[in-house]
Amino acid sequence: MRAHHVLSGLFAALLLSASPAGAQRAVVEREGYLPEPMPPGFGVVVNEVEGPVFTDAAGKTLYSWPLKGLRNGDVGDRKNAPSACTSEVYKVNSGLMSPYPAGLILPDAATRKSCQEVWPPVLAGKDASPVGKWTVIARKDGAPQWAYDGYPLYTSTLDTAPGDVIGGTNRRARGDGPGIREPIGPHPNIPPAFEIRQMNTGRMLVNFAGFSVYAWDGDGADKSNCDAGCLKKWSPVLAAETSQPQGEWTIIQRSPGVRQWSFRKKPLYTFIADGRPKNMLGTDEPGWHNVYTQRAPAWPKEFTQQESHGGIVLADAAGKTIYLYTCGDDALDQQTCDHPTSPQEYRLAVCGGGDAARCLKTWRPVAAAKDAKAPNKTWTPIDIDPLSGHYATPDQANAMRVWAYRGRPVYNFERDAVGDVEGDAWGEFFGFRNGFKAYWLRDDFYSNAG
Amino acid sequence: MHKFVRLSALAAAVAAVPLAASAEGITNRTIGYVLTNKSWAVYQTPDGKTECPAGLNDGPREQFKALYPDDGKQRTLLETHLAREADIWFPNENEPETDKGPLPFRYAAGKMALGLNLDGKIGSKDFSGPRGDTGIDNELYRVLGCVPGFRGPDGANYFFENDYMQRYIFNRVLLEITDVDDLTNDNDVTVTTYRGLDGLLTSANGKDFIAGGTQRIDDRWGKRYIHRLKGKIVDGVLTTEASDIKLPWALTFDTNPDQGFKQAKFQLRLTENSAEGLLGGYVDVKDWQHRFTINWSTHHSSYGQMSIPSITRAMRKLADAYPGPDGKMTAISAAAEMKFAQAFILHPEKSVADAAPTPGAKPVDQRAAGGQ
Repeated sequence: MRAHHVLSGLFAALLLSASPAGAQRAVVEREGYLPEPMPPGFGVVVNEVEGPVFTDAAGKTLYSWPLKGLRNGDVGDRKNAPSACTSEVYKVNSGLMSPYPAGLILPDAATRKSCQEVWPPVLAGKDASPVGKWTVIARKDGAPQWAYDGYPLYTSTLDTAPGDVIGGTNRRARGDGPGIREPIGPHPNIPPAFEIRQMNTGRMLVNFAGFSVYAWDGDGADKSNCDAGCLKKWSPVLAAETSQPQGEWTIIQRSPGVRQWSFRKKPLYTFIADGRPKNMLGTDEPGWHNVYTQRAPAWPKEFTQQESHGGIVLADAAGKTIYLYTCGDDALDQQTCDHPTSPQEYRLAVCGGGDAARCLKTWRPVAAAKDAKAPNKTWTPIDIDPLSGHYATPDQANAMRVWAYRGRPVYNFERDAVGDVEGDAWGEFFGFRNGFKAYWLRDDFYSNAG
Repeated sequence: MHKFVRLSALAAAVAAVPLAASAEGITNRTIGYVLTNKSWAVYQTPDGKTECPAGLNDGPREQFKALYPDDGKQRTLLETHLAREADIWFPNENEPETDKGPLPFRYAAGKMALGLNLDGKIGSKDFSGPRGDTGIDNELYRVLGCVPGFRGPDGANYFFENDYMQRYIFNRVLLEITDVDDLTNDNDVTVTTYRGLDGLLTSANGKDFIAGGTQRIDDRWGKRYIHRLKGKIVDGVLTTEASDIKLPWALTFDTNPDQGFKQAKFQLRLTENSAEGLLGGYVDVKDWQHRFTINWSTHHSSYGQMSIPSITRAMRKLADAYPGPDGKMTAISAAAEMKFAQAFILHPEKSVADAAPTPGAKPVDQRAAGGQ
């Protein structure tokens, strides 16, 4: 078994570039995780978006494809069952997404690959033995495949560098989104009273009920200065009598017998005015902040933040809202259709009614400077053919350099003025399946920020 | 956290000497209401045969089958599914009408409708109201009247637009009437719309919305919903002067669109506990289509047989105001039925005027605010 250890969560790596408004700190904090037994050859990489993820011997991120119910049936893998991602090449849609029927020829039918070609199964050796949550499940062709927590494992052909998560979606699957592949990883090193929510601003700590927790600049290291007046608005997150410090987590005594959780030496609180899980209302109070195990990677330095009619959104240099495009097709293997290497017919239908020129006008990719440099692995400049949406050829004259998030171009919407989110939920199934969603940093009314 | 210090309608509990309160519910010449019910105004007879003699319209599923019959022909997703989605997001502007051809559209017939006289004229196309009103402008009714989803009480849009308005605070609409001396007759009052930040007050059974709730004003994100209108109250009916307004008008699945009304007028019968009536105005066809399409996926539109390409083309055909550069009308007369319950409206410490957006102002940096 490969040796591994609990990471402290503090990676003192220098940033490559400053973040907007000079808010970025000098070090990047990364999420700690709990050790667990793994088969030989596997490891853990702390990804800048997803946190700790398991990787194979080549450093490629491991994904699972858990079963998801769609409108007319299920897709994905069932627990402890053979993989549904096989060598079959689907030529027609499945009809699982109402209201369109099955049997329609897919746009990429002529060139489409099988599921296992784009999601190579993580095969086990003949002598592989189960370890902890890691088991071996025989594929339909008899080949042994590693599974974690009962779900068969895959890598993605879109991932190229160790710890990449390009194969994952740039949005969490909710509602009527496609059945997506999710990077898997070890359990974060957090006490049972807490959970982590993947927000567009980072991996945010919430309490057991899903409410945001906060830290205050007025506190000292492992010392609460939140007095009686302060406590009218802020509730300390109390630790049970049996709770024990772990990793970056300590417990302070507010008074004899009253114990409060502290993370990275900051006492933790909830805010009484937060009415919904993941609310961030407390950040309006001077000196109070949400708490993250790790922050979202810095977006391009020219980007801005704008107030909309529901919260704060990420915007380009001109103040126009940034949108992510997400697409999963309706074949049984639910392949992605939102990457420059994917079929573009889906996007062209909803961004321009099938007209590439109108699409480019209505949903314009966000331009990057010719000399733009990637601030990290998540935000990168790429060159695309502006009409087709595919990657540009090396010497293409009209190539457009655009910003990409997780390898996919990001967009502005034609009708938006500064602070508008007119294009939010544009596309099929409220933008979940083949459409656009704004990059929300804070949403006081819904769950758009994560 | 805001400190809400001024109660617009909080009864005598805080006022030693109420100022000019001529009716209960009015305090300091102010009364507030919160929207509890809304629907596009569709006049219906019991069996629907009067207004829809040819029957009701088809929706996305029926139209798909009509366009692509099960005739054994192998079709592509591009020429079917994606073509329909393209038509939803970009309805063909050059297709003149939808009442002929493979996708017939059935308009509401008859001379009776709910709505307001928006242009002050009584024209040949205008409707009459059930209470004898004349000159009613509501061409949107002709479009929606025979679409099942817009018909009460259980049409999908009729039900869910209302249901999600009640459930989601994003959609909370407040009306505050100030300078009011008498809820029966007052020839000069001011009506201000806001977005509220609180849930609706219900009766013990949870089904009925009742007076007496409290609503905080959203003076941060909700600035775009603040509109100040002049009005008058005659025989207990408030009528506001025409003005352009915008209201939050979202459904579910994290959507958040608005609905704009041009030359909008409220006409509401007021009591100390409620306000009920109509909001009339012209809606921009493109905006209406945009809002509806954001709010309703094709799957969900199918529940109410609501075909957005057909509805949009019909709206374009009947648009009756705001000519564009090409002379074609861009907006259509419309009305929504609305009910409000009296509510105590809490103003933030700073006046809303003070909170008006400052051009170029930077919001809180979420990365800074979120970090520890």
